[in-house]
Amino acid sequence: MALEKQEQRPAAEKGEHIIARHLIEDESIKEEKNLVIDGVDVSGRWNTFILSRVDSEFDRSFFREIKDTVVGSRINRCWQCGMCTASCTVTPLYRRFNPRAFIYMMQLGNLKELKKYIDVAWRCVGCYKCSQRCPKQVNPAEMMEALGLVIKKYFPEEVHSKLKADEDVKKIYDDMIIGHGRLDLAKLHTSAMQKTGRTKELLGKIERDAIFKMAKDGRAFSILRLGKPHNWSRSKVAIENYLKNLNTIENGEAGV
Amino acid sequence: MDKLNENQAAYYPGCALLTIDRAYNNSSKLVSKKMGIELVEIPDYNCCGIGEMKSKGAASMYMPLRNMMLAKNKFGSKNLVMACSVCYHEFNRSITRVRENRNELSAVNAIFKEAGEFEEEYAPDGEARHILEFLYNEKGANEVKRNTVNPLKGLKVAPYYGCLYSRPSMYTFTDKKPQMDNSERPRFMHEFLEAIGAETVFYGNEVQCCGGRNLVQDEETSFALCSQTISKAKKAGADVISLICPKCAGALDVNQPKIVEKFGKDSELPIVYLTQLMALAFGFSKKEAEFGDMISDPLKALKEKGF
Repeated sequence: MALEKQEQRPAAEKGEHIIARHLIEDESIKEEKNLVIDGVDVSGRWNTFILSRVDSEFDRSFFREIKDTVVGSRINRCWQCGMCTASCTVTPLYRRFNPRAFIYMMQLGNLKELKKYIDVAWRCVGCYKCSQRCPKQVNPAEMMEALGLVIKKYFPEEVHSKLKADEDVKKIYDDMIIGHGRLDLAKLHTSAMQKTGRTKELLGKIERDAIFKMAKDGRAFSILRLGKPHNWSRSKVAIENYLKNLNTIENGEAGV
Repeated sequence: MDKLNENQAAYYPGCALLTIDRAYNNSSKLVSKKMGIELVEIPDYNCCGIGEMKSKGAASMYMPLRNMMLAKNKFGSKNLVMACSVCYHEFNRSITRVRENRNELSAVNAIFKEAGEFEEEYAPDGEARHILEFLYNEKGANEVKRNTVNPLKGLKVAPYYGCLYSRPSMYTFTDKKPQMDNSERPRFMHEFLEAIGAETVFYGNEVQCCGGRNLVQDEETSFALCSQTISKAKKAGADVISLICPKCAGALDVNQPKIVEKFGKDSELPIVYLTQLMALAFGFSKKEAEFGDMISDPLKALKEKGF
């Protein structure tokens, strides 16, 4: 009787109901497809077990590197409650984006695992729900910035091949913010579109309408008047010198 | 430069408000002036870093703090008022961090010293104020009600606070200081909207994210989040969504034609700034409040309601 029922059930993938399934290796999941114990049907998800494992390769130097940065300075406080992942805006959209797991991997210095998530690690939208609700004030939103620094330092080839568009846009931001002291939103938009190979879209109806509207009401010309702060070049040099002399992974040149 | 009198406040416009978001800038100034506070722009301001500098250590704190120094040097004002939530966050983050961490303070001061623009060192005694919180605490909702000559009766508004106005409390001090808003259920915008006679609707996405930070790199995520917010507001019966952040406007308003193209007519709703609605209620014309600047066409919705 029990086995007949089992046959009608759609075949489930191994451990597919585990929420953070992507974090667990296939061979670590123990699940019997058909199992009857003392006449009770415990098939499928009812008998799922995750085998325990031992993580012993702690890389404390790696931990120090993160702790020395401004954004990652609170990594030691995390006790892995998972509130950040539970309140995350991005996790429901991209299941593999899991701030708790990322912080755990950084704490352990587990570069092998981190490497698997390079393609989603930058998706944080910076909404700070995690930092608001974190019981230990770890500030996971800024920890994701530290994660970016780690990835940039240890996987430069992957960053170059998979996250090229993202890096290009970051460079445009840097050039404008540090170089000019002010942000020209129109130029940011057009140059980002060009860098990501979407110049064609700029000629589409929606973009054209918006540009026409701004030219008509005069806003397009206020962008030309934005200018630079007086004497900004001195601040620019000071910031650049500061970044050059940093001895943490925040120093972009040392990292890559 | 003259020092400010008690009816003036040092104002940081930020890059967006002086260019494409002039609607927010102009209406904020109109509304504040009507309520008895003149907003005076600090000269030579620089960009706050809009969150793209966070991983650059003390340099990210130098950007906003230079503006605090300008306000103090040129206007003799410790505090700085701003309308953009992203700027507000960057200022708060920097001020709180250097207040709590002496190493970071000395790193920032080393950059100040090398730039050589100011004689004295930065001392973290000033505060950044968001225009909503500023007007609420300095003047209050009753003052808004008193100034209302053209109540927006019958207009249903969905208040949208976004992320960085109320979060995280470690920087904004929501929940921690009695005069600040609540972090999970903010209410200052609700009170202002009710004071100008409009009706607020509850739709559940008041403090959700618009995905604005990755707007340039990752439109996909932003579109999904925005579509959810707009369609929920529409379902709750809102005529317009009111904002307090130009980045939210970038995601919800400027990109709305693309969102509608992808998710259908459910995601179509006029977007306005809170201060635009307040300016309208205070008797300014729609031209003065720059309603025509918004891409999502609030003029039509306002006309239908008889304003």
